Amino acid sequence: MRGERAATVALSCEAVSVAFNGRAALTEVDLEVPSGQLVALAGPNGSGKTTLLRSALGLVDGLRGRVSLLGEPLDSLSIRDRALRVAWVPQQESLNEDVPLNRYLLYGRYAHNGPFGREDAEDLAAVERILEQIGLADRGEESVLALSGGERQRAVLGRALAQGAPLLLLDEPTSHLDLGHQLDLLERVRSLVRAERVTVVAALHDLNLAARFADRIVVLFHGHKVADGPPEAVLSPELLARVWGVDAELRRDPASGLPYLFPRRLLAAPSPVAARFGPVHVVGGGGAASRYLRALADAGFELTVGALHLLDSDAETAEALSLPTAVELPFAPLGRAARQRHRELLGAARAIVVSPFAVGPTNLANLEDPLAFVGGRPTFLVREPPIAARDFAGGAASSLYARFLKEGAREVSGPEELVAELTRALGGSVRAPAPAATDPAGARDR
Amino acid sequence: MVAGHPPPARGRLVRRLALLVGATVAVGFGSVLLLLGGGLVPATVQIPFRATLQILLHQLSLGRLFPQPCAGTAALPSQCASWTAIVWKLTLPEVLLAMIVGAGLGISGATLQGIFRNPLVDPYLLGIATGGSLGVAVVEVYGILPARAYLLDPAAAFVGGVATGLAVLLAARGRSTSVETLLLAGVAISYLLSGVLSLVLLYNPVRAEQLTSWLLGGLLSGYWPSDTVAFALVLVLGGLLGLYGRELNLLQLGPEVAQSAGVDARRVRVEVLLLASLLTAGVVAFTGVIGFVGLVSPHIVRRWLGTDYRLVVPASGVVGALFLVAANDAASLSFPHSVLPVGIFTALAGVPFFLVLLYRHRRRSFGGGP
Repeated sequence: MRGERAATVALSCEAVSVAFNGRAALTEVDLEVPSGQLVALAGPNGSGKTTLLRSALGLVDGLRGRVSLLGEPLDSLSIRDRALRVAWVPQQESLNEDVPLNRYLLYGRYAHNGPFGREDAEDLAAVERILEQIGLADRGEESVLALSGGERQRAVLGRALAQGAPLLLLDEPTSHLDLGHQLDLLERVRSLVRAERVTVVAALHDLNLAARFADRIVVLFHGHKVADGPPEAVLSPELLARVWGVDAELRRDPASGLPYLFPRRLLAAPSPVAARFGPVHVVGGGGAASRYLRALADAGFELTVGALHLLDSDAETAEALSLPTAVELPFAPLGRAARQRHRELLGAARAIVVSPFAVGPTNLANLEDPLAFVGGRPTFLVREPPIAARDFAGGAASSLYARFLKEGAREVSGPEELVAELTRALGGSVRAPAPAATDPAGARDR
Repeated sequence: MVAGHPPPARGRLVRRLALLVGATVAVGFGSVLLLLGGGLVPATVQIPFRATLQILLHQLSLGRLFPQPCAGTAALPSQCASWTAIVWKLTLPEVLLAMIVGAGLGISGATLQGIFRNPLVDPYLLGIATGGSLGVAVVEVYGILPARAYLLDPAAAFVGGVATGLAVLLAARGRSTSVETLLLAGVAISYLLSGVLSLVLLYNPVRAEQLTSWLLGGLLSGYWPSDTVAFALVLVLGGLLGLYGRELNLLQLGPEVAQSAGVDARRVRVEVLLLASLLTAGVVAFTGVIGFVGLVSPHIVRRWLGTDYRLVVPASGVVGALFLVAANDAASLSFPHSVLPVGIFTALAGVPFFLVLLYRHRRRSFGGGP
C-alpha cells in the first residue's frame, strides 16, 4: 500500500524549513504534489519560491524537514538518481557557450550516459523528440547563441526535458518572455503534463497565467505556505490584499470561466502575520477593546471588530485603524442589520477575542452572537475585570460567559498574553490549509 | 554577445584537429633540425641538416635506416659519435620535454578554466610556482642530499608545489570553494612562501642561480629519464583529466544546473583541482615556471575548435605542446649564443598574442564568474 501511494506522489515536502545566515527563508512548509499535476508556486519576491524549488533539488544546505522524490527520501538518493527523478529550469541559466542546440540538449542526457559518456541511439532519439516538442526541429545544428530569447528559454526547457525525469521544476520560466512566448511556453508545459504525465511545479509571478495553466496554486509568503488549492478557490481579492498588498478586482473570463485578477492600486505593505493567520475578530464596546485592538494591530494581525455603537470609543479606535466593523446607532439595542453584519465578520474570522466590555440589555447580543462561532475557532476571553463586575443584564452575561468556557474558550490576562496565546493557537493550525481552499489535490482530474 | 553563427561542423573539426596534431609533430621534428643546423645552438659544434636528419632516422628506425648516419657529410668518423650524442641525447630530449610540458600545462589550464568558468585562471592557481621554488631553493641552498642527481631538483619542486597546493586547498576549504577564495588563499600562501624564500636567499646569496633559472622556466634541458617521467605524468594525469569533458561542459551552465543534471559538482571540482595541480607541479618540476602556456592554449582551442570540453582538454594539450616547442625554438633563434629561459620567451611572445586575442574577443562572453 505504501508503494502504491509512493508512486503517485511525485514530490513531498514535510515541515521543510530553511534558514540563510539565521534568517528564515522557509518555515515548516508542507507540500505534496501528486503525479501528473501542474502546480503553480506563487508569492511576492522573496517569499521562498525559489528556495522551495532548490530544496526539492537538494541544492540547499542545512535544510530541516523531509523531502521525498517519488517516495524516496532525497537524502538517500545519489546526485545521479536525483537527476533521473527531477529536472530543473532555473531562473537564469548561463547559456553563452557556442554549442549547437542538439549538443546542448545532449548535455541533459548526462545521467543516462555510460561511464565514458558515449551517447547511444536512445539519447539521440530523445534529442530529436525534444527538438520537436520545443518547436525547434530544424534548428538542431544551429548554435544556441543564435536563438532568440523565447527560443532560448524553450531550449533550456528542452535541456531539462532531456533528463527524462518525471518531475520538472520551473523557476519563473516566463519572466523574460513576451506575451506570445509566455503562452507558448506554458502551453507546451501543459501538454507535456497531459500527454506524458510529467509532474510540474512552476514558480510563476503572473497569477492570471497561473490560474489559466495550473491545476493548483500554492501561495508562499515570508517563507510560510498561506494558501493552497485550485485557482478558483485560492485567488481572491482578499488574498491579493493580504499577501501582495494589492487592491484587485476578481473577474471571471466569460469564455473559459477562469478567474482573473485586475490589479487596481497598491495598499499598505502586507503584514506577514496577517497573511499567515487571516483575520481575528474582536468583540468590544465602551472602549474595553481599544487597548487589545492596538496591541493586536501592532503585532501585525488583521482585525475586524463588532458590534459597536457609533461614537463609542472602541468605534473611534476601529476607525483610526481602518478596521472593518459592524455598527449600530448610539444607545439603541443592536438591531438586525448590525447583528447580521457582526455574524458575517465572525464567520470570516480565524479566531475570536471577547474584550472585557460591560454587558447590558442593549449589547447582550454581543455575547449571544459570537457563541455560535466558537466551535473550531480559537476563542479568548479577557479575565479582568471579572464578568460579575460588568454584568448589568441581571446575570445573563455571567451565564453566557460560562457557556463560552464550556465551548472551549480560554481566558487570558492583558494584551501581551493575548498576543502570545493567539500566535500560538493560530501558528499551530497554520499548517492546515486555509479554510477557503481545503482541497489541494482536488484539481487533479481537471 | 556575438550574433550566432553555425559552430564548426564535425568534419571540419576533425580536419582542424588532425592539422594541429600534424603541425605539432612537424614542428617538433623540425625543431631538432633547426636547433642544430646553422649554428643556432649555443654549442661549439655545428651539425649539418643532413647529418641531423640521418642521425634521427637512424636512431628512430633502431639502426635499420642509414647504417652510416654521417655518410655524405663532412664528418670525420670520430665526430659522428659525438654528433649522434648531441642529436639523440641532448637536443631531441629537450624538444620532447618542451612538448610534454606544454601539453601538461595546456591540459591543466583548460580543465581549471573549465571548473571555474573563468578564462583568467592558470595552472598556478594554487601557488604551485612559489611552492616549487621553495622546494628547489631548499635543496640547492642546503644541499640536503649529497648525491646531486638530475632528478633531485625536480623532485624537490614537485614536493614543494604539491604541498603548497594542498595547503591552499585546505586553507580555502569551505562549503563551496569559490575561485575567489582559492585565488586569495593561493596569493596569501604564496606571499608567505615568498617571504620564506627571500629569507633563505638573503642568507645564501651565492647559490641563487639555479633557483633563478627555475623561477624563469630556464631548466628546459631534457634527459631521457626526465622525459620518461614527465611523459608518464602527462599520459596518466592528462588522460584522467580528459575524462571530465562532459562534466566540464555541464559546469559551464552553472554548478547548480550541472548538479541538477546529475553531475556531482563539488566532487568534480576537487578532483579536477587535485589532478590538474599534480600535473602542473609534475611537469614544471623539470623546467621551472613557464607562464602563459596554460593560460593561452585553451583560449586558442576554444576559438578554433569550439567549446566542447571533450575536445578542448586534449586539444589544449596539443596546442600547449606546439606553443612551447615553438617558443623554445624562437628563444634559441632570437638569442642564439646565450641560453634564454623559455619562460621569459613565452611571456614576451605570449602576452602580445593574448592581448590581440582579448581585443578581438572583447565582445564575446566567456561565461560569468565562478
